[in-house]
Amino acid sequence: MSPLKIIRRDAETGPVLEVVGDLDFVHAPELREHISRLVVPPGRRLVLDLAGLEFCDSSGITALIAAHSHAQAARAEVVLVAVPAHTRRILHMVGLDQIFTLHPDSDKATRS
Amino acid sequence: MDIIRRNNVTVTGNPNGRTVVLAHGFGCDQNMWRLTVPALSDDYRVVLFDYVGSGRADASAFSEERYASLDGYAQDVVDVCEALDLDDAVFVGHSVSAMIGVLAAARVPERIGALVMVGPSPRYIDDEDYRGGFSAADIDELLDSLESNYLGWSAVMAPVIMGNPERPELGDELKNSFCATDPDMARVFARTTFLSDSRDDLKTVSVPTLVLECTQDVIAPREVGAFVHRSIPGSTLVTLEATGHCPHLSAPEATNAAIRSFLTAL
Amino acid sequence: MMCSAGEQPDPHGAGDGGVSHAAFASLLEDSVEELYENAPCGYLSTLMDGTVAKINETLLTWLDLRREEVVGRMRFSDLLSVGGKLYHETHFAPLLRMQGEISGIALEMRQSGGGRIPVLVSSAVKHGTTGEPLLIRTTVFDARDRRAYEEELLRGRKVAEEARRRAEADRARLQHALAVLQQSLLPDTLPAIPGVEAATHYHTASPDQLGGDFYDVFPVDGKRFGFFLGDVCGKGPEAAAVTSLTRYTLRAAAVHDPDPVATLTTLNKVLHERYTGSGDPRFCTAVFGTLEPDAATGRMRVHLASGGHPPALVVRADGTVDSLHTPGGLLVGVLPAARFVTTTAVLAPGDTLLLYTDGLTEARTGSDRTSLFGEEALRGFVAAHAGRAAKDLVEALINLLEGFGDGLDDDTALLALGIPADRTAPDGR
Repeated sequence: MSPLKIIRRDAETGPVLEVVGDLDFVHAPELREHISRLVVPPGRRLVLDLAGLEFCDSSGITALIAAHSHAQAARAEVVLVAVPAHTRRILHMVGLDQIFTLHPDSDKATRS
Repeated sequence: MDIIRRNNVTVTGNPNGRTVVLAHGFGCDQNMWRLTVPALSDDYRVVLFDYVGSGRADASAFSEERYASLDGYAQDVVDVCEALDLDDAVFVGHSVSAMIGVLAAARVPERIGALVMVGPSPRYIDDEDYRGGFSAADIDELLDSLESNYLGWSAVMAPVIMGNPERPELGDELKNSFCATDPDMARVFARTTFLSDSRDDLKTVSVPTLVLECTQDVIAPREVGAFVHRSIPGSTLVTLEATGHCPHLSAPEATNAAIRSFLTAL
Repeated sequence: MMCSAGEQPDPHGAGDGGVSHAAFASLLEDSVEELYENAPCGYLSTLMDGTVAKINETLLTWLDLRREEVVGRMRFSDLLSVGGKLYHETHFAPLLRMQGEISGIALEMRQSGGGRIPVLVSSAVKHGTTGEPLLIRTTVFDARDRRAYEEELLRGRKVAEEARRRAEADRARLQHALAVLQQSLLPDTLPAIPGVEAATHYHTASPDQLGGDFYDVFPVDGKRFGFFLGDVCGKGPEAAAVTSLTRYTLRAAAVHDPDPVATLTTLNKVLHERYTGSGDPRFCTAVFGTLEPDAATGRMRVHLASGGHPPALVVRADGTVDSLHTPGGLLVGVLPAARFVTTTAVLAPGDTLLLYTDGLTEARTGSDRTSLFGEEALRGFVAAHAGRAAKDLVEALINLLEGFGDGLDDDTALLALGIPADRTAPDGR
């Protein structure tokens, strides 16, 4: 099982988290923990770059929803970038593709 | 169930002779009788076996519940008698096996026609007027010592038994093949043996009985031999000039002679 | 420390030095008798009946006995504790008789003051020229340190065994409690629905973990029956609490208004309000539907809505399989106001409606975690069982689940509602 790596950087649009590895029962809480400590200014955008995401189960989906709620509470938005096909399929299945904004690449998503 | 395999039953001697079953006591297995078998095998059919939990009996057949009472061991004897379809056999039991034989004879009287009790004791612990030779504390100490022998005994015995310490890899195979039995099962046997009280069962004996005792036996002192003799009407008591609890090993000639003369007179 | 090799004393005393010479000389003076008496172990010779014929000073000192009290008067077994005596008679002596020697046996000796010394004893029988046994030679090693160590090991072993026993008992108790609890989250029996045969199955992935799948079938009014099946995200007691809340909410909501969208909307509101802001958001996927018989046609109308759940399948008697898609139906409990999508179907005799949780479709079929059974394979599988009774279809799926082995690591719930085939029809089965 590949461990989870979360790399944070700041773009013009707000914080960007690059999520690399597995979002599973064991590791997803790390992302939730990370996001709960994140300050997203109102009106800005939290970008989750999932290009390096290798695996995502329901715990991972829960972490993404937590990111959504966190941003919403801060009156900010969440954008998922470069979502791998398998995760996109799950997001579609559970209807979450309607509430997340999906972007194919990080450059566009971080341009305001 | 295959009783012959379970109890490691061996049949030897004269197939046309009367059957004599030799039953080992606590601490060893059928090898204990190796000086007795030659004295009987010309004239008698000799049956040897190991109780489950001893010697080379099938250890997987052991159950702490069954062997927590002498009845469980007596059932082994009954099983062996039935598996061989014995009729009117002579049962020779050493130590606690003498009492196990009494219990078995009461269950299958048609199969066991006479008893030889070598160093019997129906009760090891003193009880009011009865002198068994041990206090309850003594027996606790024995059970403790069995526990503490766990490490020394099982590890050290095997190479000695095979007499080949240069090839310790053979030890595993032989570890349970001789008198050194599984310490947990031996502990159950010890507890059952030394806490038993079969005094009342002696009264049920109605077959010809020989009681063999030694002049010096720390486990079954002479008072106990006299008690057994007194409790079984018509029994014969022979006191062997021997020390220790195993006259069939320490004084085989005298022991064999006493058994043979009893058998001849039957 | 600095020390050159040349400064090392020569252990053989071959080089220089009066010290080595003196030590060697004193060794020569050490007589055999002196060695016997004061050796660092006990020596003892007994006659074959155990009577002590010879005993060394070391052993006498250990036992606090005088030579004249012992020699010719006591037997070896008299020097042992009661436990040691019994052990000697039942093990040691018989083995020594049979083998001629025995070594390294743990026994206990008794001091004259009543104390006990653990010892390791080895004995060998000395035979005469004609092979007759003459006497027994015995060496005794003080095993007090060793005994202390063994007792420590034994104590450790007992403690570990006790802990293991307790852990096993706790685990059994926990598994029992979990099984009872899990059972309480599922209906005991399903109601009889006229003209419909229902079959269910619940596969628990682990006896140590409560699963979050659920289903139920129940009457909602005179003619309609409600049914639902779903999956709470996560596992364990927290998920089970959500499962319980979900099940009772759906049943209560259906009594109020059995419309599938209304029912799921109520559940969404309840879950969202209960768990959002708790720091532990909880969601579930669910299919809720109603069954309504059409007396005129003998068919059954299905009306269902889904929130984030894999599509239900309709297995037609002729082997075609329809997926009841509800695109856009959102995971229940995520947003304060969620959209749910409905769909309808009509079940004819021989048709079966199958609801399942994703444990089935997400079961791994290869060694890596990306080869999953999938919806397509499921459709193929059920198509091959078309026209069978609902309970036969579930039975076949149970076999399929078993065949996944370790590949099935999630809970799986199955609910099949079938219209028995019309036996009077020419093509009926």
